[in-house]
This record gives sequence, C-alpha cells and structure tokens, in this order.
Amino acid sequence: MTEPAVAIHDLTYRYRGTKQNAIEGINLVLERGDFLVLMGPSGAGKSTLATCINGLIPHFHKGKLEGAVIVCGKNTRDHTVAQMAEDVGLVFQDFEAQLFSTSVELEVAFGPENFAVPREEIATRIDENLTYVGLADFRNRPPSTLSGGQKQKLAIAAVLALHPKVLVMDEPTTDLDPISKMGIFEITNRLRQRSDLTLLVVEHETEEVLQADRIALLKDGRLVKVGPAREILRDVDLIESLGLMPLGIPRFFKAIGFDDTAAAAELPLTPAEAEVAYRRGGWRISSAAYEAMVARETAVEQSFRAKTPLIHCCDLEFSYPNGVKALDGISLDIYPGDIVAIVGQNGSGKTTLAKHFNGLLLPTGGTITVNGKTTKEQGIFRLGQLVGYVFQNPDHQIFSETVYDEVSFGPRLRGLPADQIKARVTETLKAVGLEGTEEEDPFSMTKSGRQRVAVAAVLAVQPDVLILDEPTTGLDYREQRSMMDMVRRLNENGSTIIFITHHMWVVAEYARKVFVIKDGRLFLEGTTREVFSHERELLEASLRPPHFIQFTNRLGRTMLRPAELIECTEGGAA
Amino acid sequence: MDAELYLDYNTPYHRLDARTKIIVFLCIFVGVLMFQDPRWLIPTLLLVLVQLFVSRSARNLQRIRYVLLVMSISSIVLWNFFASGTTPLFWVFDVESMYYAIGRTILIFSIVTMGVILISTTRNEELIMGMIKMGLPYRVGFAISTSLRLVPTVAASLMTISQAQRSRGLDLESGNIVQRVKKFLPLLVPVFISSIRNTNIFGMALESRGFGAREERTYYLQMQMTKADWAVLTFFFIYVAVSIWLNVAGYGKIVGLVRF
Repeated sequence: MTEPAVAIHDLTYRYRGTKQNAIEGINLVLERGDFLVLMGPSGAGKSTLATCINGLIPHFHKGKLEGAVIVCGKNTRDHTVAQMAEDVGLVFQDFEAQLFSTSVELEVAFGPENFAVPREEIATRIDENLTYVGLADFRNRPPSTLSGGQKQKLAIAAVLALHPKVLVMDEPTTDLDPISKMGIFEITNRLRQRSDLTLLVVEHETEEVLQADRIALLKDGRLVKVGPAREILRDVDLIESLGLMPLGIPRFFKAIGFDDTAAAAELPLTPAEAEVAYRRGGWRISSAAYEAMVARETAVEQSFRAKTPLIHCCDLEFSYPNGVKALDGISLDIYPGDIVAIVGQNGSGKTTLAKHFNGLLLPTGGTITVNGKTTKEQGIFRLGQLVGYVFQNPDHQIFSETVYDEVSFGPRLRGLPADQIKARVTETLKAVGLEGTEEEDPFSMTKSGRQRVAVAAVLAVQPDVLILDEPTTGLDYREQRSMMDMVRRLNENGSTIIFITHHMWVVAEYARKVFVIKDGRLFLEGTTREVFSHERELLEASLRPPHFIQFTNRLGRTMLRPAELIECTEGGAA
Repeated sequence: MDAELYLDYNTPYHRLDARTKIIVFLCIFVGVLMFQDPRWLIPTLLLVLVQLFVSRSARNLQRIRYVLLVMSISSIVLWNFFASGTTPLFWVFDVESMYYAIGRTILIFSIVTMGVILISTTRNEELIMGMIKMGLPYRVGFAISTSLRLVPTVAASLMTISQAQRSRGLDLESGNIVQRVKKFLPLLVPVFISSIRNTNIFGMALESRGFGAREERTYYLQMQMTKADWAVLTFFFIYVAVSIWLNVAGYGKIVGLVRF
C-alpha cells in the first residue's frame, strides 16, 4: 500500500499570544491524486490548516502545535519550510506580494535555483510550466505588468516548477474577476487530471468547486463534514448555516418542491442540469408575470431618468503621466438615490473611473460634473463632503487607536462642534451595525469589522454619494450579505450608492443599474437584468453571470433571484 | 501605479554587465572624492551627466527632484559652517568655503545620480548576480536587493493611503513644511502596517519556494563580460588613476581653505 500524500492526525494549533485554538482535532487524509476543497467562513481556520501542510506552521508562525502532519512521509515538524518546498507547493491569495522577480522567467526559475537544479533543466522547466499555465509569450515581461489573473497563473507556474507532489492554494481567486477566476479553475482542472499531483484548494466560491472530488467544511477550527463535492453542495441548508454561499440552483429547486427522492432525480446543480430538470418537471415561465416584472423596472428607470443627474461624465478621458490611457471616452449619468454597480476585468479602469467621482483624479480629457459643477472647480476637500469614497482595503485608511477617533476624524477636520461630532459618531456606528464599539481598537477587529469602521468613517461626514471599492472582497458570504444589506439600507435612507465589485451575485442581488467597463471604455450599461441578459457580451468583458442567472437565460428570460423565478413559474408536477 | 525603479529600456548602458556598472559606480565614488575645487570636479560631473543621458535614467532622477533640491540647497549652505577661508563674503560665508560647499554638493549629486543610474538600468537579479560574482554571499546580495525592491512597494502604498485620507478631507497640500509633516504622520501608521503585512507574505512566499533549502544554488541568469564592458572599465580605471595621481600631485585643492 502506498502512503497517502497528506496525512493529518489529531492536529491542534494555537497561534502564539492567542487564547483559542485556531484549529482543533483535525483528522484528514489525502490520497495521491486527490482533489480536496476546503471551505468555511472567515476565521474557521482554513488558511491555518493550509499553511500547516508546508510547514509554515509551526516554523514561520510560532505557536503550539499538537498532533502531526505527514506529507509524503515527511513530518513537517522535522523539516524546514524550504526543505518541504520540493514536496508541497503553496500559492497565496495575494498575487502582488508573492511575486518578487523582475521577469516572468526568473520568477519561475527561483524555486529550482534554490534546489541547485542544473541550468539546462531549469530552462526546460520554465518552458514547460509557462506553457502549461498559458504564459509562454510573456516570459520576458516584468510580472508587475501582468493582469491579476496572469499574476496568479505565474505564481502557480513558479510553484509547479519545483515539481511538488502536493499543491496547496489558499484562496487563489478571491481578488480576481470572474473570467480570471475561470482561468485559474481551468488550470486546476487540468492539474487534477495528473495522477501524480494532490490538490488542496481553499475556496469561497461555491459555483467553482463542483469539479472537486471532495469538499471539507470547516467551522471554528473543526471539520464539520467531509464528503463528495456534489453531495456537500446539494446540502444548501448546511452550507448556508455555516455562513457560506449556497448554490442558487439547488436552492430554487428545493423551494419549488423538487422531488429529490424519486429515482434518477438528483437535485440539479449546474445550469445545464437545471434546464433539463426544469423542462422535464413541466414548469414554464409565465410571460405575463415576467413582463409585469420588467414593466415595473422600466417604470423605475423612467422615474430616475426624469431627474437631473448627480454625476455626469462626458467623453471622460484619463491618461497616467507615463502615457498609459486608463479611461478612453466614458460618458455616463448617475442619478440621485440610485444604487449602481461598476464591474469589469482587473485593470479595466473601474477604480480610475470611480476616483474621478470625488475629484481624486482629474480628467485629462472630456468633462465630469458633480451636482452641476466640474470636479476641478470644486476640489477634493469640498467634494469629499458630497462624495464619500471607501477604499478597497480598510487597512489603507484606518490609523487611529480607537474606533471613536477614527470615525470622528472627518467631522473634526471639517470643524464640527464637539457635541455634534459625538452624536454623528453614535449615529454612524449604529448605521453600520457597530454601536457601542467606540472605545475598541480598530486594528484588533476582524476584516469585516474594519471594513465597517472604514465605511462609518466615510459616512460620518454625511456625504450624499457613497462610493465603495470592492466592499465585499475578503469577507465570507454571511459578512458580504450583512455588509451589502447595510449598504442597501443606506440607499433606502437616501444615499446614492456606487460600488465596484467582482462578485456577480452581489451585483445581481443589490444593484439596480450596472456599468460594464472594458479597456477604459463603457462597454455595456443598463438595469441589472438587461446587463445580465447579455451573457455573450459579458464574456468579452471577462464577466459571467452567476449560475442561477445563466440557467434562467437558457430558459430565455433573465431572472436575478430564485424568488423571481418562483414568482414567474407556472405548471409543474408533470 | 508605476512605482518601479528599473526602467525597461534597451540602451547601451542597460546592456552593460552589472559588474561593470557597479565598478563604474565605485570609480566615480572614488574619483569625486579626490577633488575639493568645483572646477576640477567638472569633468567628473560631465561624465556622470553623459551616463545619465546615455542610460535615459533622467526620469527617475526627476522623481526625486524635490529631495535633490532640498539636499543641494542645504548642502551649499551647511558646508560653510564646517569650513572657512581667507576671503570673507558675509557672515560665515567665505569665498573658499563657498567653493568648498559647491564642490561637496557636486559630490553628493554625483553619487546620488550614479546610484539612480545603477538601479534604473540594472534588474534586481542582475544586481544580486553582480554582487555575488564579485564575492558577496548570496544572502547578503539578496538582502540588499530586497530592500531596494521594497521602495516601490512602500511608495505605491503611501500613494494609495494618501489618496484614501485626502478623500476623507485631509488637506495635504496646504500649510507650511511643519504643518504638512504633521499631517503626514498619521499616514505612516497604515503604511507601516501594510508594509509589514506584505513583508510577511513575501517571507512566506520565499520560504515556500525553497529559499535557502540547499547550501549550493544554481543561477539561471548568466552574465557575460563583453568587449564594451572591458572598454568602459578601461576608461574608468584610467579616470580613477588620473584622479588619484592629480590628487597626490596636489591639484584640485582649494587654496586657503580651513576645514574644522
């Protein structure tokens, strides 16, 4: 009998200086060629478990480790991380920080160089692995000029060049646009065909993990369930109770009473399966109900168009000092009280565009007016009062020792009297669901907590417009929901909301209108339903609607949520 | 954001071997120390400017123009406090000490410019390789080049962070120097935190790819000295030899200068 690729026995680990075990009593065996996906909410211990496998725990992160991790017969306790690198490759979520060479080929060469692989052999490995991930044409480019997806592919190639037997990827796609995500999963899929490679991937996106052999669910440091992927994904209630995103398709079929017990009737998971099951079940979409729904939306759209736009861009252009054109003739209107999503590939110009809305960047061509005046004449200080901007990474923003200081920073700068500041802080903290945390240290809060502090700090100056750059990145499903529910409440209370995101389900669920940016141009615009009905065009912009919407598009209509399809479905029980 | 220090051009200067560029840097460093009198420093200064031009590195110099300006002005003033001469100008300034101060400023400017040229034209790995081939241990070379690599990362995060704070109403552009520095201080907290975080991931990524796994190590990058390298080196060796000879022979000094 061959030994397993990874064997984890009774693994318990506690980071130094913390009181709680990060993971507890983990037992898990991965046979050679296995493909296991590790899922769980924030703080469940996924990354901890992943870094245990190549020995970063306990060698890099000091702490108390009990039990054993045996990888290819080696106990991680007795080998340094560098020694383990030949057996275990680790790809990190942050694709910026894990690349450090000045050219693509040197990045790949770095690992084999450390193991004194002969030079000719390194050349072969560079060719082989760059071709494998599809970066062969980029070998002399500096990694900093690659897109996010390409960087992550490069990180994979760099790790594969060591010919590891186990590949661990810690949320490799979290910061990527949908198509770059697919590119990574496509590579993962090819990797799993290789019988010599064992894969362990930490992942949030439920739609993408269908390909895995098995899924392990982790919560509070403990394994909740390990089983075949499809079986786990069908259990939408369990997944949702763990704070993960349930698949829309099985959830819909459960809701309309799909008979899972009947012979050969497996609960469908993919859009293709769903289409078959829907038609076979004798269900139909009622055109009348659908048209009524669309008509309601059109009426809302009309009422917005009757207003004066709050933000008006006309042929907006922006070039960086080095001559790179980031925006190339964008014309759009954003109306007061709207909730709008800006989507597009990594590097398409979304953030550059949004930074024009509050005057952080000034156009190099065309015009942009906010409230009827150009951003240039208003200046960032005055515009900041009107347009709040929450940056992608809350850690770029937070610097105070207490939440109170952080949130009151804006009002203080604007010279508000002390009692008013206090009232403002209380009020905004309530709005973001952090009441009573005034004296806490923001740095010790969770990512979603810090994200909320950052939003509160921007809200405290009471802007009319709130721009959120990737408000849901790095949060788990439950946190994403509560963040976006909060954003929606702000919108209902009168704020105009503009958010940038890669999460298509967030767009489907929360945006009324969508702008698709591609290569610095406005590629598509419309109500969320209109935009998601253009599946092929979206693909060109590296975007893809969620599975559930793909399924309804196959039926000829675009439904954003299971509830909508339930409302429009008739027939059944054939 | 474009914060890279290396400028990806294909100039003859870029094509030189990293070792040549390091030696040229050291040659200028020695040569410039041989003269006090700014008039005698003009050839060296011209030599530096020619290199700046050939290597097309002026763009990077331009990025640090404020630092250079502040440095030059304070240098021209301050050196007068550390030297005096026989021909008074006003207050602590004498004609000789003024000459001396200008000479020192040319010295500082030349060395900084040479440093900028070196990192603008040499990839990180080439720099490490150059240093290793010249006898430095791999880890030391790697550490030096890593600290250089951090500069653009920190600069980029400083830029994002200052944008984030300006969006919140922090006015970084008005006020005098002291007020501005005061306003900048809070920005350093997130800069440090994100740098530490990045460095942490960087360290993990290094180890995960086997950094220091074996005693010996191969180098994929190959470096070859060409005729051009030898020609440049010969020229600079002659330059250093002549400079030292002139210095020993007593040229290039400022008559009547007393240094404290």
